[in-house]
Amino acid sequence: MTIPSKTRDLAHRLVAYEAVATKTTKPGKSATLRVYEKLRDGLSEFAGVAGFESIASRALALAKTEAPSLNAVQVSSDGELQGLGRDLGEIENPIDIDKDRAGESQAGEGEIILIARILGLLLLFLGEAIVLSLLRITWPGAVFDDRNSENGRRE
Amino acid sequence: MSTQDNVKINKLPTGVPGLDEIVGGGLPEYSFNIIAGEPGSGKTTLAHQFVFANATPERPALYFTVLGESTIKMLRYQQQYTFFDPAKLPGSIRFINLSQVVLENDLGAVLEQITKEVEKASPAVVVVDSFRTMVRKPQSDMDLQSFIQRLALFLASWQATTFLIGEYAEDELRDNPIFTVADGLIWLRQTAERNSIVRKLQVIKLRGQNSVPGLHTFRITNAGVQAFSRTFGLTGHLKDPPSHRRLSFGIPELDKMLGGGVREGDSVLVAGSSGTGKSVLATQFIAEGIRKGEPGIIAVFEERPQAYTERATSLGLDLKTPQKDEKLTILYLRPLDLSVDETMHSILDAVQKIGAKRLVIDSLAGFEMALSPGFRADFRESLYRMIFALTGIGVTILSTVEVDESFTEFPFSTYSISFLTDDIIRLRYVSIDGQLRKIMVVIKMRGGNHLKDIREYEITSKGVEILSTRLTNYQGLISGIPVRSDRPGPKEEPSQDAGIKRKT
Repeated sequence: MTIPSKTRDLAHRLVAYEAVATKTTKPGKSATLRVYEKLRDGLSEFAGVAGFESIASRALALAKTEAPSLNAVQVSSDGELQGLGRDLGEIENPIDIDKDRAGESQAGEGEIILIARILGLLLLFLGEAIVLSLLRITWPGAVFDDRNSENGRRE
Repeated sequence: MSTQDNVKINKLPTGVPGLDEIVGGGLPEYSFNIIAGEPGSGKTTLAHQFVFANATPERPALYFTVLGESTIKMLRYQQQYTFFDPAKLPGSIRFINLSQVVLENDLGAVLEQITKEVEKASPAVVVVDSFRTMVRKPQSDMDLQSFIQRLALFLASWQATTFLIGEYAEDELRDNPIFTVADGLIWLRQTAERNSIVRKLQVIKLRGQNSVPGLHTFRITNAGVQAFSRTFGLTGHLKDPPSHRRLSFGIPELDKMLGGGVREGDSVLVAGSSGTGKSVLATQFIAEGIRKGEPGIIAVFEERPQAYTERATSLGLDLKTPQKDEKLTILYLRPLDLSVDETMHSILDAVQKIGAKRLVIDSLAGFEMALSPGFRADFRESLYRMIFALTGIGVTILSTVEVDESFTEFPFSTYSISFLTDDIIRLRYVSIDGQLRKIMVVIKMRGGNHLKDIREYEITSKGVEILSTRLTNYQGLISGIPVRSDRPGPKEEPSQDAGIKRKT
């Protein structure tokens, strides 16, 4: 069960969006972790802590089959992600979030896969319309339907 | 204080087709309501329909989910319904999960959490689904009563129309404090009747306005819950002044037997055994109406519309053109699990759509068979309501019914429904001169005189044709086995529009 490129791209865009914010507001915290935490906050209110935890656990299990670097990562009972992005320098295969703006933001491939897997499950269960509505509330400044915009930000 | 000074209670649309009629025009704004019923009875779907019908970005809806169905799964299923508009999430409709608070804290903390969210969002609608799971944890009656009182008071003060959803059993109605506090109580029931599921809803309580009492059928389709009022949505429709107009069958001799035709707004029963021409007569009644500019509906239960249309063509009656011109609708109501109320809903829709003046139900036996077994016990009562409602809006109904041919009795109907009809035309076989012939007699015409003649008729390529003379030289015709008498035939000449003469 591979991740559709559209879902992977959406994950890229969210991480890229947060990468910019990470540099300007909370440097030192992984952009991927910020994306995860925002998803966790939004979905825990909506689906409950247990609801989010179950989605995150399933997503992590799927992601681990593609990215062994996530083997040490765990989801706690309250949905917190443990063992991810503690040190960006430890990531073996950093990838460009946006090839046109290489170096502006970077995340490990495994991390992107995890976010993509969470989004994939949400899309599977809730459908694109609801998921995008939820994402727009969490990331009001982001665009999710224009691949050419810079780092997913509104122009 | 005059009635003009009384506070006006706004009525909010329920979003459930048919339910507004049942609750008296909509649910009272700021009311505190319970939707109760067994699992799978449609409580959550009904609440969603209300929420989607009323939530706006300015006055959103807060949907609190507690223990039970997960929100993600709930939304996965609910979005299959046509009323579900994903664009309303989360701007107009916000889902908030309270499971953690319920599991880890007491009711005071739950109330605090709800209060916080309501004060933040100022919602028009609040739903707690399922409230039952929220209060299932052991607590004293006083705690529970106090919690419900405070919750109801708070939500009303914050101008929210509230729904608490719960799986309650009917024997809890007397003891559970929640039912005392509630302004409205809608109970959804579903029972298995042989191989069918029968769903009914009841508005047990609704403060501030009149609702339609009794049990109302409802169905869950891809459009969500759809309710069918026992009054068929005709509450408040004034009956037109009685018409003295006579409607023709297009068979002059029959019209004459009926004293000039069927009175407009009457319910006519055509009873006879198989093959006596009940459907032919019904088709001629409709075709004549269309010819005179009176649109018609034929509700068929025993054959498909295409077959019905083709049979009419063989009688020289064109039913295809009026269907294309929207002057005729042939309703084929799918068999086996209908309620009378659903059937009525389909018929009324068709009546209103084409402005129908004549309706044929062909046949009552087929109609009964098409009903879910659970509704058959109420068939007579339902039929009474249906006929009363339709004739009340000026539709003339002709129903056919098959009766067992007996050579010792002359029954009008096996359903004992003759009291529901204004006029009865009886068709039957008689054995005369070594032939099985057909006779027709008008048994009853409420509010009008009619001929008492027993007339022989034939079914030809032109439909029912009444033969030229009365059968005066036979006695005991209605027994089916008449005996020839020596009386001479009638002296009067047959009418100019009399039908064919019997070939010998």
